[in-house]
Amino acid sequence: MMKVEAVIQPSRFESVKEALREAGVEGMTVTEVRGHGRQKGHTEVYRGREYTVDLLPKIKLELVVADRLVSTVVDTILKTAKTGKIGDGKIFLTRVDEAIRIRNEERGESAL
Amino acid sequence: MEGSSIPLSMLGRSCDDERRRIRHEFEAGASARATLSALCEGADRHSQQVFSEALRASRGRAEGFCLLALGGYGRRMLFPYSDLDILFLFENERAEAEFKPTIAEFSRTMWDLGFRVSSAGRTVDECKRIEEDNAEFHLALLDRRFLAGDQELFEKLDQRVLPPSEKQARSFLFSQLHRLTRERLARYGDTIFHLEPNVKEAPGGLRDYQAAYWLRQILGDRPDLRGANAAEEESAASAVEFLGAIRCFLHYSNGRNDNTLTYEQQAEAAEKSLGVADSIQRNAAEWMRLYFRHARTLNRQLLRYLDQKMATPLSLRERLFSAAKNVTRPELELSGTNYGIRGGQIEVTNLTALSDRAAMYALFVESSRKGVPLSREAERSIAYVLSHSELPVRNAAISWEMMKDLLAGDHPGVALRPMHRLGLLNEILPEMRAIDSLVVRDFYHRYTVDEHSLRTIEHLQELAEPPDARGTPFGPLWKSLERRELLIFALLLHDVGKGLPVENHVHGSLEALASAAPRLGLDSVEEAEVRFLIERHLDMSATVQRRDIFDPATVSAFAAGVGTLERLQRLCLLTYADIHAVNPEALTPWKAEMLWQLFVATSNYFSRTLDRDRLHAIDERSLLEQVRTLAKSASTAEIVRFLEGFPRRYLAVHSAAEIAAHFGLYQKLSAAPLQTELKTERHGFSLTLLTADRPALFSTIAGVLAGWGMDILKADAFANSAGVVLDTFHFSDLHRTLELNPSERERFLNSLRAVLGNKTALEPLLQSRDSASRARAPKVAVPTRISFDDTASAHCTLLEVVAQDRPGLLYDMGSALARLSCNIEVALIDTEGYKAIDVFYLTSGGVKLTLQKQESLRELLQGTLA
Repeated sequence: MMKVEAVIQPSRFESVKEALREAGVEGMTVTEVRGHGRQKGHTEVYRGREYTVDLLPKIKLELVVADRLVSTVVDTILKTAKTGKIGDGKIFLTRVDEAIRIRNEERGESAL
Repeated sequence: MEGSSIPLSMLGRSCDDERRRIRHEFEAGASARATLSALCEGADRHSQQVFSEALRASRGRAEGFCLLALGGYGRRMLFPYSDLDILFLFENERAEAEFKPTIAEFSRTMWDLGFRVSSAGRTVDECKRIEEDNAEFHLALLDRRFLAGDQELFEKLDQRVLPPSEKQARSFLFSQLHRLTRERLARYGDTIFHLEPNVKEAPGGLRDYQAAYWLRQILGDRPDLRGANAAEEESAASAVEFLGAIRCFLHYSNGRNDNTLTYEQQAEAAEKSLGVADSIQRNAAEWMRLYFRHARTLNRQLLRYLDQKMATPLSLRERLFSAAKNVTRPELELSGTNYGIRGGQIEVTNLTALSDRAAMYALFVESSRKGVPLSREAERSIAYVLSHSELPVRNAAISWEMMKDLLAGDHPGVALRPMHRLGLLNEILPEMRAIDSLVVRDFYHRYTVDEHSLRTIEHLQELAEPPDARGTPFGPLWKSLERRELLIFALLLHDVGKGLPVENHVHGSLEALASAAPRLGLDSVEEAEVRFLIERHLDMSATVQRRDIFDPATVSAFAAGVGTLERLQRLCLLTYADIHAVNPEALTPWKAEMLWQLFVATSNYFSRTLDRDRLHAIDERSLLEQVRTLAKSASTAEIVRFLEGFPRRYLAVHSAAEIAAHFGLYQKLSAAPLQTELKTERHGFSLTLLTADRPALFSTIAGVLAGWGMDILKADAFANSAGVVLDTFHFSDLHRTLELNPSERERFLNSLRAVLGNKTALEPLLQSRDSASRARAPKVAVPTRISFDDTASAHCTLLEVVAQDRPGLLYDMGSALARLSCNIEVALIDTEGYKAIDVFYLTSGGVKLTLQKQESLRELLQGTLA
């Protein structure tokens, strides 16, 4: 099993979610986050006050999927989250040792 | 209770059989009252039997020891999976030690029989002492009932020990119950309108009934106690029966003490017509409306008791002093003809006036203006009038003028919530009946649709002092918002469509507006503004979620859809409120910031592109038609000449009627080259001038205003292609010169004409005001910020100045611009508290300012504004 963690542009989230659903992946955890890589911040001046956003708003998706689905999930995210501009985000993969469903204590891939 | 020994196995079977029988009878239609009574009788009988057995096994006699039922069990309201609240009462500590084995045996056996016993042990002396950190125990004691054991001991406690100590502790018990209740209500957002309510703990739930019952007991038989009348008691009894049935159903359904009425259970309850005696088949939403009606009854009853004041016990000395001062109640401060304010609440002083709806509405207008709620008595009186349709009614239809006053107040929610509660809001806006207590199954929404709409308004009014960082940037926007009533009205109607049989709720809400607007008397401009807000109320949220808000293309597309800065301001606040009112967690700091960033970017876009979009008047057919109709004797060609070249913003900030009036002034220019119009406004005055452009015109007008002690709040300066300037200044009359002396208005206008006509100098006028203005030091220091932008406009240099506002500031800035031969093509002048925010589109010699000129101007302004 693999944990797929993706930090993407908020404006791409709906498309990514829909594409993953069509690919047969429904379970995910979504968090509103902030961050930046090489993308610079953004400053607007309004009524004499500067509103600087150094850490830009992003969406973080976390999914744990069976090994056989990893490449599908990664490809789906890559295809739908990409705009081609700096700030598109990143995907991280980490191996998961075990998954357990709390309701009935199922383990392994069947708990996903 | 003495008796023969019964084996536990048989007792257990008999318990289970009895529980099954009671459940079966309930599910076959037995009332909640009968079910609770049967459960209580069963619990009593088994407690007594088990106690008797436990006693037999240890000592045989219960001298100095007894069992009491407390709380819900004491009140004989025992639900299927509720705990048995039992008090083990001892004569003294020795008895407590002696009966320990009995208690242990009793508790064990009761658990084995499936009773969840929640017990406490106290001696009589311990019950007498009021424990300040255990108010719940003393409140539960109010419901004490003898179960088993030494009856004389119980009677000693019940009749001789507790009554005097409870009487003495009345204030303490009242204040503690008050506090605990307020905390509980606040935990549930102080609203009964939850989509999946907890029928025990939530406002309007059974705990409200219990708390009201206790409050009544604590308050005692005071002659001034405003208790319930017979009809209200009957309503409360029906409500308790209805909610009791739901709670029994939930316990049986969940198999535990879980009191949350989920969506699935609502559907099941509706199908079974749970708690309802009639044969009408209802769907879940309709059945839930019944629930909210009953919840409202219990909550209202509770709030009435919570509002009662507890007299603080006074010493003899204090009583003598207070009698000498004749201090009894706070003074009634008369506020209107028929009402006054006492103790922070509006009271009706002339009840017969309530037959006039205008008098009734006036109470709510006052409430909205001052943020003062109506007293419970006032609400009760209004409820009486509204529920007796046979009583004569005058002025039944509210005027739009009065409604505007109500909606535009600083605290509209303080008025609208009780209006909704009393049914008055539905009377004024019958369109809202569609969403009355409407449950819409939605993962995100916590509240019914009508509750959500009220909450949006309350979230806006709290922006006057934002409760947390999410609201901080939006606060100034709310405080300075013009035509607030349009936004509030839009919020009342924006989700009405969810209660109508339409595909898209926005269309339904627009239908509701189309019905309400002509009836109330909104003019076409007002209706158009409200229609825009309702139609687009999801746009800003959708843009934030689905578009890159840092992309200029997103901002310009969004701006094109919004159209004007004023609409953007209202739409932004509507979006803030709409998200915030979904549920307490919906407006995350992340979302609030994204919303604010989009607002700022779009607002700046409007400011920076002001002169880009100029009117090509011949294309504005609809406007030309309207102005020609209003101006009567004008030709289209003449109107086109007037309008040609004005920035499009001119249309955004002026109605067709105002444009027609300006055109009227334009037609008189040949007779008098300076045309003026002075009007009274809500917060001051507006001065409109129409004249040919000339150097230093803007600064001179600003100087005259400053010389007369006027504080300029906002101003617009536009020029058309023919060089005719239309300047509008909105100002407040600091010294009330014009307000208190109507004859001074003509003198003011003559002074303006004289200065602009070079017949009088400006300097003497300014000098007379100088010393007065310098005496006042600013409360908040605002740093000066001067910025130039050469890219925003194709033809002009944009200058933005943010500085400390003071009388004469605009004159000083205008003079600096004139001194360096800068021509003002467009000006937007605004203030926000102590801050002046001024935007000028400048040219010099018909072109943008050179970099050198920009630096010279910066230096001059910095010196002037220091």
